[in-house]
Amino acid sequence: MTITRRGLITGSLGTLAVGALSACGGVGDSGNDASKGGAGKGDTGALSTQGFGKPDDVGQARIDAFKSAYPNVQVNLNEGDFDPQQFLSAVASGNPPDLVYLDRGLVGSYASRGAIQPLDDLLGGAGIKTGDYREAAIKEVTLDGKVYGVPEFYNTRNILVNGKAIEEAGLTLADVSTTDWNRLHTVTRQLYRAAGGRTTRIGFDPKLPEFLPLWAKANGADLVNPDGSPNLEDPKIIEALTYALSLIDEQGGWSKFKAFRDTWDLFGAGNQFVKNQAAAFPWEGWYVNVLVQSSPKIDLRSTPFTDRQGKPITFQNGSAWCLPKDAKNPAAAVNWMKVMTSTDTWLKAGAARQATVEQNKSIFTGLWTANTAADEQVKAKYVKPGPTGFDKAVENYYAASDYAFGVNASKAGSEIKVAWQEAVNRALSGQQKPDAALRQAQSEASKAFSAAK
Amino acid sequence: MSTTSAPVRRATPGRSRRNWRETRAAYAFIGLWIVGSLVFTLGPMIASLVLSFTDYDAIAEPRNVGFDNYREMIADPKVAKALGNTLVYAVLYVPTAMVVALALALLLNRLGRGSGFFRTVFYLPVMTPTVAVGALFLLLLNGNQGLLNRTLGLVGITGPNWTTDTDWVKPGLAVTMLWGVGGMVVIYLAALRQVPKDLYEAADLDGAGAWTKFRRVTIPMISGSLFFTLIVQTIAALQMFDQAYTMFFGAQENSTYSNEAALFYVIYLFQQAFQFLHMGYASALAWLLFLIIIVITAVQVRVSRRFVYYEGERG
Amino acid sequence: MSVSPTQPVIGGAQVPTDDGRSGPTRRDRARPWKRAPYLIAVALAGVVFTYPFVWLVSASLKPRTEVFDNALVPKTWQWSNFADVWDYAPMLSWIGNSAIVGIAAAVSVTISSALVAFGFAYFRFPGRNLLFGLVLATMMLPQAVTMIPVYLIWNEIGLTGTQVPLWAQNIFGSAFYIFLLRQFFLGLPRELFEAARIDGSGFGGLFWRIALPLCRPALAIVFVFEIQASWNDLLKPLIYLQDTALFTVPRGLKSIIDTFGNGGEQHWEIIMAASLIATIPMIIIFAIAQKHIIEGIATQGRKG
Repeated sequence: MTITRRGLITGSLGTLAVGALSACGGVGDSGNDASKGGAGKGDTGALSTQGFGKPDDVGQARIDAFKSAYPNVQVNLNEGDFDPQQFLSAVASGNPPDLVYLDRGLVGSYASRGAIQPLDDLLGGAGIKTGDYREAAIKEVTLDGKVYGVPEFYNTRNILVNGKAIEEAGLTLADVSTTDWNRLHTVTRQLYRAAGGRTTRIGFDPKLPEFLPLWAKANGADLVNPDGSPNLEDPKIIEALTYALSLIDEQGGWSKFKAFRDTWDLFGAGNQFVKNQAAAFPWEGWYVNVLVQSSPKIDLRSTPFTDRQGKPITFQNGSAWCLPKDAKNPAAAVNWMKVMTSTDTWLKAGAARQATVEQNKSIFTGLWTANTAADEQVKAKYVKPGPTGFDKAVENYYAASDYAFGVNASKAGSEIKVAWQEAVNRALSGQQKPDAALRQAQSEASKAFSAAK
Repeated sequence: MSTTSAPVRRATPGRSRRNWRETRAAYAFIGLWIVGSLVFTLGPMIASLVLSFTDYDAIAEPRNVGFDNYREMIADPKVAKALGNTLVYAVLYVPTAMVVALALALLLNRLGRGSGFFRTVFYLPVMTPTVAVGALFLLLLNGNQGLLNRTLGLVGITGPNWTTDTDWVKPGLAVTMLWGVGGMVVIYLAALRQVPKDLYEAADLDGAGAWTKFRRVTIPMISGSLFFTLIVQTIAALQMFDQAYTMFFGAQENSTYSNEAALFYVIYLFQQAFQFLHMGYASALAWLLFLIIIVITAVQVRVSRRFVYYEGERG
Repeated sequence: MSVSPTQPVIGGAQVPTDDGRSGPTRRDRARPWKRAPYLIAVALAGVVFTYPFVWLVSASLKPRTEVFDNALVPKTWQWSNFADVWDYAPMLSWIGNSAIVGIAAAVSVTISSALVAFGFAYFRFPGRNLLFGLVLATMMLPQAVTMIPVYLIWNEIGLTGTQVPLWAQNIFGSAFYIFLLRQFFLGLPRELFEAARIDGSGFGGLFWRIALPLCRPALAIVFVFEIQASWNDLLKPLIYLQDTALFTVPRGLKSIIDTFGNGGEQHWEIIMAASLIATIPMIIIFAIAQKHIIEGIATQGRKG
């Protein structure tokens, strides 16, 4: 017993000491004139990452760009998606990765916990200008005026429509609109198909719980207040959730709906559009690049998600590169952030995607990044006219990038997100009514918000 | 258990010096275990109790918070949820598994030739890694197109949505776990084979029917094994983790939408401890689980004492 | 796989029973058709138990669109699923990691548990019953209770993030195996030891030269059980391993499921292929050590 207890105390002291040391190291390294020669420039040493999944062509091109710019840095990608438990255990045990790649919505929570460090002192040295990035993305990674991450992708949502399904139902694209909620109900029912008690086509997928921010905004409310406090029991949000749920109830109820959706071949040649298993749903722009692989077989249509007044709205999200507490090679880490998100690199990534596209005899459907200049240049250089439906979709997503909003940053962003997602799940599964579910979420989120430092 | 008293060796007539040497040697042999349990069992148990009165995140120093964690536990709807899920699952799974395993063992016992082969067949799923079992059954149990519901469909039954309907998630997991019932089959079969033949023959002479023989001879004679599996399986069910975590939790926060129905106690404990780093709170949760297991096991021991037949002192 | 899924009935009927101590009554033996209902029932159950395996193998060879068609034989054979798993994940090094961890766990727990079990079986000493009672008590102890402090201990030593915590506790023996091995040691004739004592053998010699060699089958059981337990363990790798390169098979498989499963890309065929790869080593071990495994399991239920 005494052993363990002493262990606890010396352990925490040790952690504090290491933390203090590396904090000093961090500041020293950030200056370009660091006395230790190359070490301070971040062009040597090891660089391990967490949360960056298996890179595709675009990811690989950018990794290659870094490797050729910094050949002496040993890059070790821990492939696999961001896993909060994996990351926090690593930080708690003092073996953090040198970089972590996570959803921008989570940045506030990890920052307030001290699991990631502010970058302000380091960005300038590496030549990263926050002004180069889209404002909505930078806002997401900023907490109390400090910047904690460098944003990468910038995903927005539009409604993708299966032309075949709407024609079968005798409808037109204009009918698939989120402006008139009563009308959308009818349209959903007309597009939905079932046979023998089993769902065979989803008419309109409101994409819950993920897209609750969109439904809330469409009804004029934000999940997170500008000061970062949760706003989950707002009557407008309750109404929005109730409505979105009713769309699912219209289509056989959640458990059937979800079980059917789980069987889709989302990324394959037999995807839900090819097999006519889905009529319409809001989705991120990158999905067009998946669908384009089946392009002649799909009659793709698209239309913006609109609020109840008919104004196009969309929310954006994406990941950011952050620097974990006690990271051992901050200078190289910041160089990585710079290279991975610079305009030049995105152009190289565009070239790589173009090569893939040519190989597959497909078309370039855009890269959606948080770097405004990169997006424009990539678009100008690579986006060429293709099948009309796809052209229009790409056009819509480029437009969406300009009016997208972000969920407000919060020191309890992760907890708030978990709270509302679980609330939606409880409501979906019928355990709670939307108002009760969101009220519980609000109380959980408020508790987390006031507990956060 | 009556195991500690196996009188294998007779005490040699009092030669105390030799006894002392033996004692020293004995402690040398079991010393490893003593050290191990002090460091990795007893110490941690006490540490866990101490931690349960603190707020500790493994980064900053533990802060004494008195009974706050226990108070929070009572108010936390997820603790109630997780406990409820765990108990419902245990009540669903353990008796079903015992009945299924016993039925299979009885069949095998009657089968004679070929029983060895089928014993292997029933045992093979136990060798499948638990994570693979979770992944496999996530698909087999899919409500829309999964194998189970397709099969039920053949006989005109519309199967439930085992993986997405919150009411059916726990039965679904019980079905998953039933696939691994082979270990219990092997245990019961071994016990059945130990039942002396003459007991049945005596019962035959008394004109007992099959059911009477089963109730009056078979069940009492294998009650030791039944009791053993009851205790072990209950403790295991209360600590359900691998399959449920594989199927319903993980890095993808949106991976499933029915996961509150699969929030088992140890999963919640794990999340609190290693996902949110609420180590103090999680320690309190751990102690609650410990107490629950002690109480349930004690009740089982007490109740079964009346029913379990121990063969004399046969070793 | 040692089981032919398509013909369990015929295959099964050919295999002679391994021991004839019990089983059907003499009357049944004389009239084999009496067995038929049992054979049919058992064979049906056998199909139910085997089918998920077959489904797994079959699904791992199908293209994504056919995974749910539940056809026994894939319409399209897609061997590339396995190449894709190999390509995506360092499956081979995960298997290597699991093998290293499993062997370290099994070797350490077998030796240490045997030592302790011998201590309890051979010697009579003050405190023995109490201590052995404690061994039995720790068998019931939920791992969850000690999980957090044990993590803090490894964290203190600086070994979190390594594979050491996955097996090193085994150096101190494990209650269940101590219990199991003690049963075997108790079964050895005492006279053997007395004779060796008279020949001047020390206690260590009794253990190494007599007890261990005679209990080889029991040691094999412990060894194989621990290999399997270690191969299955998900919780400890989740807690201790963060570096993908160090992952064991279950942890790696879980990360594949996270990436390709629900909420991911829904590439179930990849997941099935990876699951199959994770299962095959265990099937091989079962094929080799089947007798020991079954015997070990059967022993558990018998009164100790």
